[in-house]
Amino acid sequence: MELLADSFLSAILLIFSLDPEVLSIVWVSLKVSGISTLFASLMGVPLGFLIAYGSFKGKRILIICLNTMLALPTVVIGLFVYSFISRRSILGSLDLLYTQKAIVIGQIILVLPIVATLTIVAISRIDERYRKTAMTLGANRRQTACVIFREARFGIVAAVIAAFGRVIAEVGISMMLGGNARGFTRTMTTAMALEYDKGEFILAVALGIILLVLSFSINLIFHFFQGRTGT
Amino acid sequence: MLYVLSKITRKYGSRTVLDIPLMEIEKGKIYALLGPNGAGKTTLLNILGFLEAPATGDIFYHSTPVSFFESYLQNLRREVVMIDQHPILFTSTVYKNVEFGLRIRGISQKKRGIIIEETLDLVGMSDFIQAQAHRLSGGETQRVALARALAVSPEVLLCDEPTSNLDVENQAAIINTLKQINEQRKITIMFTTHYIYQVSSLAHHAFFLDQGKLTTAQAERFKLCR
Repeated sequence: MELLADSFLSAILLIFSLDPEVLSIVWVSLKVSGISTLFASLMGVPLGFLIAYGSFKGKRILIICLNTMLALPTVVIGLFVYSFISRRSILGSLDLLYTQKAIVIGQIILVLPIVATLTIVAISRIDERYRKTAMTLGANRRQTACVIFREARFGIVAAVIAAFGRVIAEVGISMMLGGNARGFTRTMTTAMALEYDKGEFILAVALGIILLVLSFSINLIFHFFQGRTGT
Repeated sequence: MLYVLSKITRKYGSRTVLDIPLMEIEKGKIYALLGPNGAGKTTLLNILGFLEAPATGDIFYHSTPVSFFESYLQNLRREVVMIDQHPILFTSTVYKNVEFGLRIRGISQKKRGIIIEETLDLVGMSDFIQAQAHRLSGGETQRVALARALAVSPEVLLCDEPTSNLDVENQAAIINTLKQINEQRKITIMFTTHYIYQVSSLAHHAFFLDQGKLTTAQAERFKLCR
């Protein structure tokens, strides 16, 4: 208990001293997670929308496949991407292994199903009367789709936030594909794992606090925005 | 004739919910559609609003046969607006709700503002122009839905139980507005209702549906009521 209290106090001091190493780790984490969330959202939101809004053969199977992919462990994704980008493999010449790009690729695979399935849920929950109302007011298919999308906006933003929360907290992909190189691919979670292995808790606790504060802040902003403009 | 429906049927699975040999609707009149729950009233309104296609039969709108292709229907839907029994407003302001139909028709912002103010004034909701739509009461929602429909100057207005679950004051406001727009703008109105007094006070003609079929016996009763 004393160890935790001491580490916590030292961690707070470390954060407020704006330690360059802490800042570098936080920056790498935010950058990598932000980019992977952005790309996953750019692909996952339209994909989820098309699946939810459209009616086609194999729709249920596709949803089951996406739901199954939600349970993919990060180490499996790490291994899968590694098999494509390691030196001797098909994309080895691109020199992606142990770079931020490799982490981004792995994290996109991790959160794309999250964004897509949560978008499907958000769209499916939209009352059928919105579609009917838009149509009877003269909207074409695209305009009707825009109405549905707009009504589902909070659910979609929640999907993106959930995805960001997942990638910023994951450790397997970052470790396997990034290599935890100081200043380059060291993220908050890989740094925490490393510090724990070394028995140095102060930096690990400091990064844990930052991770929690970041997550809390994003959710707070979302709920504030939702409360002002939504239901 | 505005509408002629000939040998229209509509089925859900193996169940026939609508079977109308002939139905004619005249331009500029108010029609009431009566019948018990599950008689097919809403299905008929959906077909008249070009939101559902009949299983068989022909519909003539302005003497032109209607083909149920999406690109063709969109133009027709811009002339016929339907208001649901429990209308839903977009999660935005009252202004944005009424603006929707005008915006997709490419009407200028300045003109949109004038029309929105006029129509909200007509339904007695001008004080709520900047209010969040989802915070309105049932009666206010119904009135804004009516304003949203009227803003696009439809030729036909289809109202599915426009006064259900409303208090007396809101019922009177809706009925008066429907009467007013029919008289002033010559909009053809068809509404479904369970209240015979609404039929006698508002409608020029009444149709009675029972198990998807038009019945004539009760139509005679309606004439006696009048």
